[in-house]
Amino acid sequence: MKIFDKALKSYAFIILIVMYLPIIAMIAFSFNSAKSVGRFAGFSLRWYSQLLQNEDVWTAFYNSFTSAAVVTIISVVLALLMANALVRYKYRGGSLIDTFIYIPIVIPEITESLALLIMLYFIGMPRGFWSVVLGHATFGATFAAVVLRARIAGFRKSVEEAARTLGADEIQTFFRVTLPILMPGVIAAALLAFTLSFDDFIKTRFTTGPGFQTIPLIVYSSAARGGVSPELNALSTFSFGISILFSAVRLFTLRRGRYE
Amino acid sequence: MSCKNTEDCQESCFQWDVLAEMKSIAKRCLAAVRRNKKLQYTLLLLPSMIYLTVFFMAPFFLTTLYSFDMVTRLKQIVFTPSLEYYLKAFGMKGLFPIFLRSIGYGLATTLLCVVLGYPVAYYIALKCKYKDGVLLLFMIPLWISFLLRTYALKALLAENGLLNGILLGLGILAEPLEIIRTPTAVLIGMAYNYLLFMVLPLYANLEKLDVSLLEAAATLGAGKVSTFLRVIVPLSLPGIVAGSLLVFIPATGEFIIPDLLGGPESYMIGNLIWDNFLYTRLWGLGSAISLLFIIFILAIILVYLKYAGIKEVVF
Repeated sequence: MKIFDKALKSYAFIILIVMYLPIIAMIAFSFNSAKSVGRFAGFSLRWYSQLLQNEDVWTAFYNSFTSAAVVTIISVVLALLMANALVRYKYRGGSLIDTFIYIPIVIPEITESLALLIMLYFIGMPRGFWSVVLGHATFGATFAAVVLRARIAGFRKSVEEAARTLGADEIQTFFRVTLPILMPGVIAAALLAFTLSFDDFIKTRFTTGPGFQTIPLIVYSSAARGGVSPELNALSTFSFGISILFSAVRLFTLRRGRYE
Repeated sequence: MSCKNTEDCQESCFQWDVLAEMKSIAKRCLAAVRRNKKLQYTLLLLPSMIYLTVFFMAPFFLTTLYSFDMVTRLKQIVFTPSLEYYLKAFGMKGLFPIFLRSIGYGLATTLLCVVLGYPVAYYIALKCKYKDGVLLLFMIPLWISFLLRTYALKALLAENGLLNGILLGLGILAEPLEIIRTPTAVLIGMAYNYLLFMVLPLYANLEKLDVSLLEAAATLGAGKVSTFLRVIVPLSLPGIVAGSLLVFIPATGEFIIPDLLGGPESYMIGNLIWDNFLYTRLWGLGSAISLLFIIFILAIILVYLKYAGIKEVVF
């Protein structure tokens, strides 16, 4: 059966290569000096310098970044309260609420986005920064709550009791004992909410208004209209870099938190 | 507190009074909360529940109202439900084929992911020496958004893309392959994007497999193949079910992949909702189609779970 194991290993390896191939090709051709994504002519940064001069890209980046930051704050605060309630208190109806928070994760995003668009229209709320932020925070908060729940479940309550016995009040205990211990979880939840919001395309498209462009919206509209180009590769690579950075930090925080 | 003159002093004494008053009120409130555990629970849950009700439940409630034609043009709610939009949705030319096609793509994607992903999960869980590292390598592509992954695939498969560049350059092909805008491209895109959604839950399941069961099967005379088919596969069924749901639901509602990689033959329900209701604002019909779609998916999931005979699915 040695041959079988070897075949299995090679197969997994091939799948891994297939997974990475499009991404690596995309990155490589963003450095192409010719305007082609099929033939590599030479190394150049011309597409990146073109991006830097593009006013729309800067605005979109600013929009993506600020909205994701506000989404992160709302999501983490909501998730921290919700996760604490769900893990520490056991009441009737708790499991119902448990299911409730998973619904936004399970339902197809496009139906959820259409529903939100209909409501924005109904209440006459202008579409732009705030409608995007409020829409993103629903999935931001639920995903953050899932991350934080796992973290709080492993939390030893005796540490808090010790702090109280030593004379700290609730607020002191929370800020000086509980929060520092939960910090890796909080940071991981925040980074997850940020990345999800920063990368989101479907809900953003449904809740955005004229003049509020984000990076994914630009990537999509150029990919759908003009097809592929090295300049778009450069923009995608840039966006990809941000996701990878945030996700790597998230993983690192969670790992380190586990060993402490 | 040092005061230079009496007026200043009075001012600060007054502020001190208000502060002290507020502090005592806060203390009393805190004491009330401290005593009542249920109150704590409610207060902790309240913000997120209000948020989800307003920005998640209320939109769906409104969608339901619109789908039954209960909202007038002047945005007044009237209590005269009508099935007009549902009938229209059923009668809409080409709606049913689009539903079926979406389900078809969803099922095909799920099947492809099981077949392609099972050996990978099996390898990482049971045969791999550097489990953590290999698992991490398989997780990194998930950190990139769907849109970017699909775009990268489009750039690879495009007529002027790398694949054609290599094939033409090596002289294997005389004409560029036209994969983009075909159902094949959509299936490739689906399998590429969703494979890891199957591999990871399957891995989590196979990793918990009790190896002594395999030894028992071998002792009882089962060969490798029959051990695999009669012990390993049945035990990994919850993993397959969890993975299938994670793949099937989003794949059926997919919009980006058929839009960027497919042509008119791969027009799916996501595209229909997108094209017709993002721009035209036919809220009633859009709501009806969107709700029918959710009901359709939920029904399929329930039937599937019942058929698979699994009560609890662990994600």
